[in-house]
Amino acid sequence: MIPRAFLTTSLGIALLAVVVLAAPAGAVQFSLAHGANGRCLECHSKPDLGTIVANGERKSLTVDETTWHDSVHSRLDCTACHAGFQAREHTAEEQAGWYQQARLTACSDCHADQFAMYSGSFHGNLVMGKNDKRAPACADCHGSHGIISPGSPEFRASVLTMCGRCHDEKSATYLDTYHGKSFRMGETSTAVCTDCHGHHKILPASDPDSTVSKQHVVATCGTCHDQATSNFASFLIHNDRSTPKSSLWVWLMEINHSVLIGVLFVLGGLHCFLYFYRGLREGLYHRG
Amino acid sequence: MASVDSGIRDEAAAFEPAPQVAPAAVAGRTHFRRFTAFQRWVHFFIMVSFSTLVLTGMPLKYSDQAWAQRWMGVLGGVQIAGMIHRFAAMIMVSCVICMLGFFTLILIKSKGRFWGPGTMVPNRQDYQDLRAMVGWFVGKRSHPHLELDRYAYYEKGEFWAASAGVTIMCLTGAILWYPEVAGRYLPGIVINFALVNHSGGALLAMGFVVVFWHFFHAHLRPEAFPMDKAMYAGGLPLEEYAHERPLEYERRIREGTLDEVLVAPVSEARMKVQNVIWWIITGLALFLWVVFSLFVVWVASFWLASF
Repeated sequence: MIPRAFLTTSLGIALLAVVVLAAPAGAVQFSLAHGANGRCLECHSKPDLGTIVANGERKSLTVDETTWHDSVHSRLDCTACHAGFQAREHTAEEQAGWYQQARLTACSDCHADQFAMYSGSFHGNLVMGKNDKRAPACADCHGSHGIISPGSPEFRASVLTMCGRCHDEKSATYLDTYHGKSFRMGETSTAVCTDCHGHHKILPASDPDSTVSKQHVVATCGTCHDQATSNFASFLIHNDRSTPKSSLWVWLMEINHSVLIGVLFVLGGLHCFLYFYRGLREGLYHRG
Repeated sequence: MASVDSGIRDEAAAFEPAPQVAPAAVAGRTHFRRFTAFQRWVHFFIMVSFSTLVLTGMPLKYSDQAWAQRWMGVLGGVQIAGMIHRFAAMIMVSCVICMLGFFTLILIKSKGRFWGPGTMVPNRQDYQDLRAMVGWFVGKRSHPHLELDRYAYYEKGEFWAASAGVTIMCLTGAILWYPEVAGRYLPGIVINFALVNHSGGALLAMGFVVVFWHFFHAHLRPEAFPMDKAMYAGGLPLEEYAHERPLEYERRIREGTLDEVLVAPVSEARMKVQNVIWWIITGLALFLWVVFSLFVVWVASFWLASF
């Protein structure tokens, strides 16, 4: 007969052993996962790895290890986003299928809140509702392997370029304002596109829910300019000075300045030059 | 009134009717005080603040240019440049306030002086001077020795251009400095107007007033070359002044006010110290003038290319 006490003790020891062994086992699993990333990189660190995608363009499949290690996701497994891929050469169906749905769902598993906001946005509606291929999904703004914190100066510095890919006219007029000029001078604390228009839930100004709608624009300006009024917010930010279509009065003023500068520079320049030239010719510069 | 056209400048001929030297001049006060110490200090602070405003403001106007971005880096970024710009603006506004006070004093103390002879208000003589000069420029007549009063037409023109300019720059600059306050009383498009006018006005002020007009007519025209020291030393030899500005000289003799503006020349020792400072300031000013001139040529090439 085995004593009951022996049974309970050995059960306790066994349970303890499971817990104690399971902890390193978890760690092992973790390091195995990194080993798995290593396995991915066996192929995907090769600089010439690529494939031909649907539109006939070559798409590089190389992952830059340093970029990946510097990114906010460097502790995740490759398969956390690239779900379903096996450690072997991937089939074309596998790849195409993943790209089709993972463009959005690869992120939404963890970033559900942001995804919900994005789903209700103008961009989200284009991508998911209208299947617009040009409209941006997560990776179009955040990148993929080199994702950095959206609050970082580097990310803020890249906002204008990413929005400008489609909204180039808007970024040109933005660069003509004090915000844009100081942005171009390297000041990333100045307002960039996303500070006024929002990020995940961007809506057109005509939508009352938009950050730049009539209802909200004063509050949006107010996040930096705490004394903002509706007059202040009616400043024409995206104004093109070179055409009367934006604002007739600003354009007229601009024309007035160009004419004034042209006429006065020419007249002033002539007065100086002729004074100098005639003076030189007649020896007025040689005095006693 | 003396004739405007007295032929090619000839020192001996111009002095033929020897200027009556007032008794005071004989007693050691041989110089004519062109500008008071107050005026010279105001000019100095305007010169310094203007250059600072240009150097800290222009890179923002041309923010798409590589040189502007490099220069902004040297200045330490937009925020620091903005602080320097606003500090310099306060100095300039102080100068403007001083000058307005000065004009008010003149108006109160001596009635009519504001628009009589010897003031900044243009008159028929200025028109005739300008015509004579343009005639000479285009080769239709010989060089006129202008019978100038206290201020020549090119000085009056510059004064009013600069006055209009500084008014616009101060108003628009204040709006851009405190856009929220402007937004409390004015529609938002006023901020757009302010941007256009501050930017265009800056180029006008730098290019037209300083590069084309002021530097040339104050220092580089034949009569003043290489540098008119009046704004620095205050006084000019009486004969020289009487020759250059005969109308004011004659007027003061007639009115018996010449004595008020006669000063003794600065002592040799002081002049030596002053000359060192003068060359430093002049060197800096000339350097800035060359930089500004090149800049204006660059802008003008853009302007011409836009046709």
